[in-house]
Amino acid sequence: MNAPTSALVAQRPERLRLVGQRRQILAVMHQRLMFGMLVYAGVIALIVARILFLAAFGDHAGRKVGITALIPERGDIVDRDGQPLARTIDAWTIGIHPTRIIGDRLDIARALARLMPERDAATYFAMMRSGKSFYYLRRRASPELVEAVNALGEPGLAIDREPDRLYPQTSLAAHVIGYTDVDGRGTAGIERAFDEQLSSPATRGGPVTLSISSRIQQALEHELLAAMTTYSAIGAAGIIMDIHSGEVLAMTSLPQLNPNAAGKGSEEARFNRATLGVYELGSTFKPFTLAMAMDSGVVRSMGQLYNCPASLSIGRFSITDTHPFKRPCSVAEIMKESSNIGTAQIAAQVGAARQRAFLEKMGFMGTVGIELKERARSLTPGSNWGEIATMTVGYGHGIAVTPLHLASGYATLFNGGIYRPATLLKIDRTHPAGKGRRVFSEETSYKMRALLRLVVTQGTGKKADAPGYRVGGKTGTAEKLLGGRYTSSAVVTTFAGVFPMDEPRYVIVAMLDDPKATADTYGFHTAGWNVAPVVSRTVSRIAPMLGVRPDKRREPNLAEVLPFVRATED
Amino acid sequence: MSGRSFRSVFMVASCAGAALGCYLVSLRVASERAALERVETRIVLAQRDIRLLQTEIGTRGRLAQLERWNVKVLALSAPSADQFLDGGFALAKMVAPRGKVDLDAPVVLAAAPAGGPRPQVVGRQQPQQDPDEGVSASQMLHVASLKREVRPEPKAAPSPAAAKPAPEPAADRPVTAVKAPAPKAIAKAKSAASDPLAPLGAAAKPNKLAAAESRDSGRKQ
Repeated sequence: MNAPTSALVAQRPERLRLVGQRRQILAVMHQRLMFGMLVYAGVIALIVARILFLAAFGDHAGRKVGITALIPERGDIVDRDGQPLARTIDAWTIGIHPTRIIGDRLDIARALARLMPERDAATYFAMMRSGKSFYYLRRRASPELVEAVNALGEPGLAIDREPDRLYPQTSLAAHVIGYTDVDGRGTAGIERAFDEQLSSPATRGGPVTLSISSRIQQALEHELLAAMTTYSAIGAAGIIMDIHSGEVLAMTSLPQLNPNAAGKGSEEARFNRATLGVYELGSTFKPFTLAMAMDSGVVRSMGQLYNCPASLSIGRFSITDTHPFKRPCSVAEIMKESSNIGTAQIAAQVGAARQRAFLEKMGFMGTVGIELKERARSLTPGSNWGEIATMTVGYGHGIAVTPLHLASGYATLFNGGIYRPATLLKIDRTHPAGKGRRVFSEETSYKMRALLRLVVTQGTGKKADAPGYRVGGKTGTAEKLLGGRYTSSAVVTTFAGVFPMDEPRYVIVAMLDDPKATADTYGFHTAGWNVAPVVSRTVSRIAPMLGVRPDKRREPNLAEVLPFVRATED
Repeated sequence: MSGRSFRSVFMVASCAGAALGCYLVSLRVASERAALERVETRIVLAQRDIRLLQTEIGTRGRLAQLERWNVKVLALSAPSADQFLDGGFALAKMVAPRGKVDLDAPVVLAAAPAGGPRPQVVGRQQPQQDPDEGVSASQMLHVASLKREVRPEPKAAPSPAAAKPAPEPAADRPVTAVKAPAPKAIAKAKSAASDPLAPLGAAAKPNKLAAAESRDSGRKQ
């Protein structure tokens, strides 16, 4: 009994030891298993959590990223009625990768020459053998051409879309809108002035709204171009402005420019005469001189008399008139017949200091106030502003300003005497009108109405009258400086007008550079013959659009000036 | 016993079910959102197409082109100042019949009392009957006022033709009225028609209106 027991006893510790070892091993295994399971569970939990997260908030495979709003590559430019003047569209471009061409190069060159005849087959062939990696063959290609090129089936021909600037109205207001370079950066006009706003992703979604009205712009451009062709002028400029807000409704410079292919235009065509060209604008300055005199108390009545001989000698200069009075003449007559002699005397009475101060306040002494970057400084006598300079500036010689200066000046003179910088942006809540400053008194502004209406009803500007629209204004014919001498053979003719004169609202300035006389003008090339009719035709076209009602029974109070005008002898 | 042992299984199953439900809901939301985005994308693409087409139309119909067509073909010009009128009255004045001075018309004194001396009738008429029989002084009296009720309504006319007298011979009607006294209503209507100051009444009414009125009067009869 013992033996087995002893055996049993003897064996027990062994077994027990084994059992203990086993248990230990099992425990370790359990621990390891548990650890592994926890790791797996953790990983799986992570994956599940990620999947759930993705399912709830994440993207899915079919999702298209990108287009959620229509934001063009570059902002639109629209006119005041919302008509697009510049837009960016996706255009087709055709290019060629000469190194990737597989087919017969000669055949491809011939096919390309047939489709795009601007280059011949030899040129295309030379391109393909040049070893360069890429050539543009055609930008802004038509869909038909793209289809035909695609049908050639040559992998070396690259057909692609890229954003392209398009000016739907072509040459309309080209100098205002400007144009961009190949990379889409503005190089002129509004495109240049507002380049940041047009290209920044934050702002390019909305258009830049101009104060230009396309219909008015078109009327002005058409009439000016017709006159420019008729009188063989080398250039022309025109501006129509709202006198109260300073908004430019139309601004043109001729010869025309197509901004879609600005590079093909001549230097002359790219030049903006309205803001960048400075001209001696002649007699159109006379109303300013008179207003200065009235404002400073030099001229108190339209009937104030000045001696108007056949010619007035100051030092070694002599001033002459085209229609000399050879008698004492009233202020009203001086303006009506555009007398240089009379105006020079008024200017001399005003004096250089006051003249400068007024011109400074009207913005005539510096760069013209507008958003464009292409704008010029006026040319003034500067330090040489003596008595003679005062006299000549009085009738618009010896000072060269841009047509926009002139339009701003007339707006100042007739809106009650407040200068406001011109603007090309539509005035609304986002863009309030510029801050004004008083230049002339309201009374002076009021008195000038009848005077300028008189010029059109009886004086030099008869042809500018548009029946019923009460146009008032002043003609100006200035001789050009050619080779350092003034010559009567080349002139700049200008008409600066305001309508309707009984309640002025709009100013129109039209200018022809070097118009020639024709048979219809009886050999004259003065402003009354060539540029005044442009104003008449333009005003009768645009005034109904601007809401100016024609009324033949309304006139400004001409009783203020008529008593001081001697009836003509004939 | 069995319930307790399966409790954990139930727990796991309900947890899994809840998770699945949540997942299905989120899947549904995601798919709706994707559908919405697809629609939005299509809207944007359509807008882009519209913009492209508008640009093309704008370019083809640009103002310079319209101007060229106008110069070559249409030759439209700006309206002249005379084409603008002050309002409806000025427009109506343009179509009103002109008052023609009839030298043969009887001279009627405005102050002539109804029973007073008869109007002197001079000129060409040959009175078959006594002219005073057909014309009373109140008929000869022209009322210079815009009050319409003074003028008798022509609907009492016996026939539609009588209700719309032609405007042409209306000018010298007073004389004919005197010459051949017609039924009273017609005579009245005609004297009104001859009045140049009368507003657009039966005489100057466009034919359509007059016809409509005559139809009305026909129905009333």
